[in-house]
Amino acid sequence: MARQLSARIAAGENPLALLEACRQGMTLVGERYQQGTYFLSELLLAAESFKAAAAMLEPHLAASRGIEPRGRVVLATLKGDIHDLGKNILATLLRAQGFEVHDLGVDVPAAVLVRKVEEIQPQFVGFSALLTTVFQSMKQAADLLERAGLRNRIKLMVGGGVTTSSVKEYVGADFQSTDAMDGVNFCLDVTAGRRV
Amino acid sequence: MREAMTPNERLWSAIRLEKPDRVPIVPILLPEPAARLIGLPLASVARDGRLAVDAAFRVFDEYGGWENPYPAAYTPLGIQIANIFPMRVRIPGKDLGENDVYQVDEQEILTPEDYDRIAEVGTDLFYYDEYLWRITDIRRDELRAAVATFIGGYEYFIAECTRRDTRPFFGGYSLHPFFMLSLMRSLVPFTQDLYYNPEPVERALRRMTADVIAKQIPIIKRSGLNLWTLVEERASGALYPPAIADRFWWPYTRQMVDACWSEGIVTVFHLDQCWDRNLAQFRQLPRGSAVIELDSTTNIFAAKEALRGHLCLHGDVPAALLSVGTPKDVASYCKRLIDEVGRDGGFILGSGCSVPVDVRPENFRSMIETGKGYELLRT
Repeated sequence: MARQLSARIAAGENPLALLEACRQGMTLVGERYQQGTYFLSELLLAAESFKAAAAMLEPHLAASRGIEPRGRVVLATLKGDIHDLGKNILATLLRAQGFEVHDLGVDVPAAVLVRKVEEIQPQFVGFSALLTTVFQSMKQAADLLERAGLRNRIKLMVGGGVTTSSVKEYVGADFQSTDAMDGVNFCLDVTAGRRV
Repeated sequence: MREAMTPNERLWSAIRLEKPDRVPIVPILLPEPAARLIGLPLASVARDGRLAVDAAFRVFDEYGGWENPYPAAYTPLGIQIANIFPMRVRIPGKDLGENDVYQVDEQEILTPEDYDRIAEVGTDLFYYDEYLWRITDIRRDELRAAVATFIGGYEYFIAECTRRDTRPFFGGYSLHPFFMLSLMRSLVPFTQDLYYNPEPVERALRRMTADVIAKQIPIIKRSGLNLWTLVEERASGALYPPAIADRFWWPYTRQMVDACWSEGIVTVFHLDQCWDRNLAQFRQLPRGSAVIELDSTTNIFAAKEALRGHLCLHGDVPAALLSVGTPKDVASYCKRLIDEVGRDGGFILGSGCSVPVDVRPENFRSMIETGKGYELLRT
């Protein structure tokens, strides 16, 4: 894939068109995953390929700067948890769909998250968790967002293997899933006005 | 109605797919939730394996006991040096705050060349000569003492079981070689290896499987428990297609289960993640040769239908329910498990994976008391 992409860049093909082709490929993989014909491993491998392609195309995309992203998303694994596999997959899938993703990393204190949300003004904020001890950090961050007057400007998403609908209620989030593609679809639906 | 079986009879009745007097209960209570339940800082049990055992048994005693204590005699350093979890760890009181939960830090440590090194020299030699020193802070000259401390903690755990006239849940424990390689190499590179460079992975899996069998069977026999736990959290149909599982997971799984079963040893599969797509495959195992331990991500009610009368199930009160639910919610879920999964036996009530560190004490009590009382009180 890398060799083919290098050759096409060197041949002078429009990098924006190449990126769009990669995005379409990712969308197709995502659809097949949702239909159950592809598995998470294949989604993972495609996401890695997309990430590598996007990195190769990045230096050639200067001309495309200024194009509005589909939406802005802030993602974090909050204080008390350093797991990031699920969050990283979601970040790559969202980028492939044209979202501007600000991944704050792992073990992020709630106050740092809130400062970043104030600065970036995203439409979506996502918390990822593998440990139940992070539920408390999620709730604390949600409360801080509320107190800072930011909560009603964003859609708050929680995800990760241990989350359930009762965790969504506990945190006061708008969306919960254990599946990264569901998270992408939620963001797409909200930005397209299909979901409020 | 009164209890009519001993804890061990009750456990084995369920494993043999019979209907015991009431459901046996085995929560996976590790030192961290135990410490929280009795108000100890998490750093204290991370430093001291004996204290970790004391914490687990104090909870066992204070909550009225259950069938078999889960062998949780470890510290974060202990799981590294005993080759139980082959990863870097962040330890409370050292790398983290006194009351933070210890964390395993998954990184790409194993290299593609290491697969053949494992195949050549074997799992333990590779681990203790090479791999361990990439993940641990201890020095080589400290290893012997650290291993002795770990073994001492486990012996203390056995002694505490004996003092209470109870027996540990299992007598051997290993990660599945597939899971172990995935943790050592980390998920994405390991997945790339499976698809793009599979032969070295297979060579390592072959050797590691033989090593697990050769190492575990004598350990399990010495324990006298005829039960061991095999941990797999990455090979399910939620992650990999059947072609991958059929080539890299199932054949090695069968080898281990069959080798143990031929010695009368039952395998407890600790299966995190969603295994809904794989349930039928477990029916290929000999009847009664395994226990399927689920973490609530797999639909345990569907698992019962798929494996009824063939394999015992263990689980699966969800961690989130124990952590943010109410005692009534927990009781209601346990009753549903007992009614639907345990109705005709072949079921052990437990937590879905380990009891969460932030378990509410009243929820933990609700799980234990519902398990003990629900069936006896209604008859």
